[in-house]
Amino acid sequence: MAHSGMRGLSVFISDIRNCRNKELERIRVDKELGHIRTRFKSEKGLSFYEKKKYVWKVLYIYMLGYDVDFGHMETLSLISAPKYGEKQVGYIATSCLLNENCDFLRIVINSVRNDIIGRNETFQCLALTLVGNIGGRDFAESLAPDVQKLLISSSCRPIVRKKAALCLLRLYRKNPDIINIDGWSDTMAQLLDERDFGVLTSVMSLLVSLVSNNTDAYWNCIPKCVKILERLARNQDIPQDYTYYGIPCPWLQVKIMRALQYFPTIEDPNTLKSLLEVLQRIMMGTDVVKNINKNNASHAVLFEALALAMHLDAEKDIMSQCVALLGKFIAVREPNIRYLGLENMTRILLVTDVHDVIKKHQTQIITNLKDPDISIRRRALDLLYGMCDVTNAKDIVEELLQYLNEADFAMREELALKVAILAEKFAPDLSWYVDVVLQLIDKAGDFVSDDIWHRVVQFVTNNEDLQPYAAAKAKEYLNKHVLHETMVKVSAYLLGEHGHLLSRRPGCSPKEIFAIINEKLPTVSTETIAIILSTYAKILTHTQPPEPELQDQIWSIFKKYEGYINVEIQQRAVEYLALSKKGVSLTDILAEMPKFPERKSALLKKTEDTESDTAEQSALRLRTQQKASDALVVTDQRTANGEIKAGQLSPVKLPNQNMNVNSEEQTTTNGALDTVDLDPTLSTDLIGDLLAIEGPPSISVPTEQTPVSGLDQETDLIGALALSTVDEQSNSIKPIGDIEEWFQALCIKDSGVLYEDIYIQIGLKADWRAHQGRIILFIGNKSTSSLTSVQALVLPPSYLKMDLSLLPSTIPPRAQVQCCLDVINICPSRDTSVLDFSYRYGSVMIEAKLRLPVVLNKFLQPISISPDDFFSQWKSLSEPPLKVQEVVKGVKTLSLPEMARLLSSVQLRVTPGLDTNPNNLVASSTFHSESIHAMLCLLRIETDPSDRTQIRMTVASGDPTLTFELKEFIKEKLIIIPNARPVPSPTSLQTQNPVLPAASNDDPGAMLAGLL
Amino acid sequence: MIHAVIVMNTEGKLRLSKFYNYKSPEEQPELIRRVYGALCRRPENVSNFVDSADIFGSGTQLVYKHYATLYFVFVFDNSENELAMLDLIQVFVETLDKCFKNVCEVDIVFNFNKMHAILNEIVFGGQVLETSSDEVMRAVEEITRLEKTSTNPISFVPKSVSGRFGR
Repeated sequence: MAHSGMRGLSVFISDIRNCRNKELERIRVDKELGHIRTRFKSEKGLSFYEKKKYVWKVLYIYMLGYDVDFGHMETLSLISAPKYGEKQVGYIATSCLLNENCDFLRIVINSVRNDIIGRNETFQCLALTLVGNIGGRDFAESLAPDVQKLLISSSCRPIVRKKAALCLLRLYRKNPDIINIDGWSDTMAQLLDERDFGVLTSVMSLLVSLVSNNTDAYWNCIPKCVKILERLARNQDIPQDYTYYGIPCPWLQVKIMRALQYFPTIEDPNTLKSLLEVLQRIMMGTDVVKNINKNNASHAVLFEALALAMHLDAEKDIMSQCVALLGKFIAVREPNIRYLGLENMTRILLVTDVHDVIKKHQTQIITNLKDPDISIRRRALDLLYGMCDVTNAKDIVEELLQYLNEADFAMREELALKVAILAEKFAPDLSWYVDVVLQLIDKAGDFVSDDIWHRVVQFVTNNEDLQPYAAAKAKEYLNKHVLHETMVKVSAYLLGEHGHLLSRRPGCSPKEIFAIINEKLPTVSTETIAIILSTYAKILTHTQPPEPELQDQIWSIFKKYEGYINVEIQQRAVEYLALSKKGVSLTDILAEMPKFPERKSALLKKTEDTESDTAEQSALRLRTQQKASDALVVTDQRTANGEIKAGQLSPVKLPNQNMNVNSEEQTTTNGALDTVDLDPTLSTDLIGDLLAIEGPPSISVPTEQTPVSGLDQETDLIGALALSTVDEQSNSIKPIGDIEEWFQALCIKDSGVLYEDIYIQIGLKADWRAHQGRIILFIGNKSTSSLTSVQALVLPPSYLKMDLSLLPSTIPPRAQVQCCLDVINICPSRDTSVLDFSYRYGSVMIEAKLRLPVVLNKFLQPISISPDDFFSQWKSLSEPPLKVQEVVKGVKTLSLPEMARLLSSVQLRVTPGLDTNPNNLVASSTFHSESIHAMLCLLRIETDPSDRTQIRMTVASGDPTLTFELKEFIKEKLIIIPNARPVPSPTSLQTQNPVLPAASNDDPGAMLAGLL
Repeated sequence: MIHAVIVMNTEGKLRLSKFYNYKSPEEQPELIRRVYGALCRRPENVSNFVDSADIFGSGTQLVYKHYATLYFVFVFDNSENELAMLDLIQVFVETLDKCFKNVCEVDIVFNFNKMHAILNEIVFGGQVLETSSDEVMRAVEEITRLEKTSTNPISFVPKSVSGRFGR
């Protein structure tokens, strides 16, 4: 191995490979990091070679997933190294380890610029690569002119120019102002004359990016693009290097066709004619062949040609050719081509009216729904969804319902949503719609969101003809033995409202309906109990004249729930009981629900919202999306005129609404004020309001829930207990792990988990600079449905200024959002700030009060101090309140090194040897705050080897509050706290009780002691 | 654009990763883990495409190729052509093959620094830089020559030696 320049690196990699498990790997990595850290820190300058070796190792460790928070300066310093090997690792590591917002990068801008304008081409390449990979706005402003020069320079080699082109692209994305469009469009046209295909490919990428931002300016490039494409398609003088499996530079062909898709039309008839000819040639001349790589390449070009043809809305015969080809593709064996065939068929549907042609392939597409590859199944589902219309809705929806039984877990939610949407959009008749949704709830209740069943209720309420049918269906389902709870909800609701319409049918008397619902009552959640109670009240209303037996039964249930632990249920029971005793007037109060105002389906709205576009969307997709959302509105006639203004969306507050609604409304507001904030544009929330079925049961107890950590809860143990049993739902969500433990870990570390339960994980990363800090919270939704009403609130204690960035109120499934908290420390304190975090999963509200690890030691910066300085400071801070001493008892039994480690972990630099008594520890640090700026703190701990449980501690600083707070803070760290509660134990309160004998006068320890 | 290039083995061990949109050191292992989770479940002889919207955000997908014990993965958004990405993986692998003479996992493990240099000649800031593997080879050979002329060369670990480390 002697000839290998970096033996150390190879040995290290080999060691890592030999680690049998992650734990051993971590140990090995820690050892290496420790070594590297020491080497980097040692005063003796490292040679460039050594730095190079260590930086490669750091990069390797970083890749293994370990955070390496040092060595950035060393990495950056390699950029200005004279030799290639060192410079190279400097550049490569910098582009992996740092991001554009990193302040360090500014340091190297000059070195990078020197390399770019220098004469060494290999250095130019390295520098361009760095800028192209991470260049941010700073780079864009200072380097863009130099990069432009390289791109158009005739003396530069292609290898430099192609990188300059892509580098410019990156800088342009960061700051479009760097390119002056006026002159640049001509330059671009000239660049398209480039003979080198590497440069040309890069230039074409640059063009795509420029055109996507501003199509008007680059018209002049169209003819040249078409020329190049023609040359490629005809395979005219293409260098061998750029022929890939016999296909002339497929990437360049693809890029050209991508660029052309950004122009709305091609006006020049001659250019358009040549282009269509080329497209025709590509479509005719591509066959599925044996060589898989050749296949991929030729079809990459073909699919791009199809996309371009669709974009140009080419003549009918080209379009029908496209469809014919796609029809062929979705039937081939080769899975990639089948996948893309399905995908493009979905796209073509959206740009032209080819429904009828595609319907011929329906059976084939359904076959793809059973493919072993989930990617293909998803595309087939998308296509079926896209091609569904009134004529084939029944077939497709029924096929999908059947598929629901065998579909992957991962797809079921999407599938359920799609079925619900299709059923709503294309229902040939409403009874079919009700059938489909009830089947859906029956088969996949877990995946049916409240939106879906709320929508059924809306339809049924608004269509009188439908009511008996829906009620009968509901009863049928209730007869089933095993039932999803959502089905109980919807059935109970429908039977409450419309059950009386069935009263003449056998088995449907009020009594029988009551009995069948009542069977489910013991097994359902509070949310459903609330609905069922309303149903009972309705049953009573509709039973005129009253049946005494039924009345007694229902009343006894109301009575039973009068004392129920959930306030919402309790209130309903009390009110319904009182109301139902009013006799005939009950009929008015508990009359049927009025029609819902016509409104846009929340489901359809949701689907439109999710189709948000990204910056890089190709023109075609943008267009298809516009068409798609138009299509949704136009085809859905029921909802097309259903768009109503927010003002109309508050029927609950209108005086002519019946009493029932009003009382419900009151209930809601009694429970909590939060419900008033519900988004008025979402119809489902409105139903929630109307029926009071959604929010209140869980919102009604908005105070501290179980996830509250330590302090708050224990102060009012009884209160907390009572509360936690009140709301079963919230109670069931417990953090996975110990909040206090996470907090304690974060007090020492700067990144880690702050909170985690089954739905959510909150990670935290903090960065501290003197008295300022920035905490980033990473809030990840672990579940497969959205978390809503996400709220974070920080009440900063008086000693901190805190600024929390906005948090989106919804976190989509499996998504992570970030939230930034800026902190400024004003003065020393041991208080902690609390983050009030809450979110809603389905109808369950989860709240957590989380202490934030903004603790005193975050503002400490360890400082090494010479004995002379130490003693002069120590002397000058001679007495309380600047210097205080305390004898602390009940200390954890720690060895001296353990204690030293503990002090280092809270940023106190222990200086061994400063105190000659080996049983003592002396440490120093700087505390940063806005009021007192940087303040030196000194600490001395004297231990008694014969009694490890007590120490004498002396703390000194130039500020009395700081001295006191720091003393208490360290004390908390050292003493044994029952239940890990940071409350000073009573024993430690005894002060000023020296236990250690004074030593002789020339001993610095004695000096320290004597000075007090 | 291309968001990430990932090389990992069939046991989920990462061999190379490069993110063209910065991902923090905390996010990276999680992303890799989820990519592996998506890949390892896939049977043989299925398509090379996987929807990665739930891993890398909406509009992204990944294309992968499985060679012996390795997965090569490109993550990209809808501004790129899917099959062209697949071809690019092929170019990357063919280049590695030329570089290491029948590349195998061990080469990649011990020459991860070389891997970075090669990848930098193919993908640049998330864009396709060079598609001719011969052209890439020329650039890489020049780099190797330069490394050798600086006093401490990074040369390849010869197979005979790297083999001794065993797995």
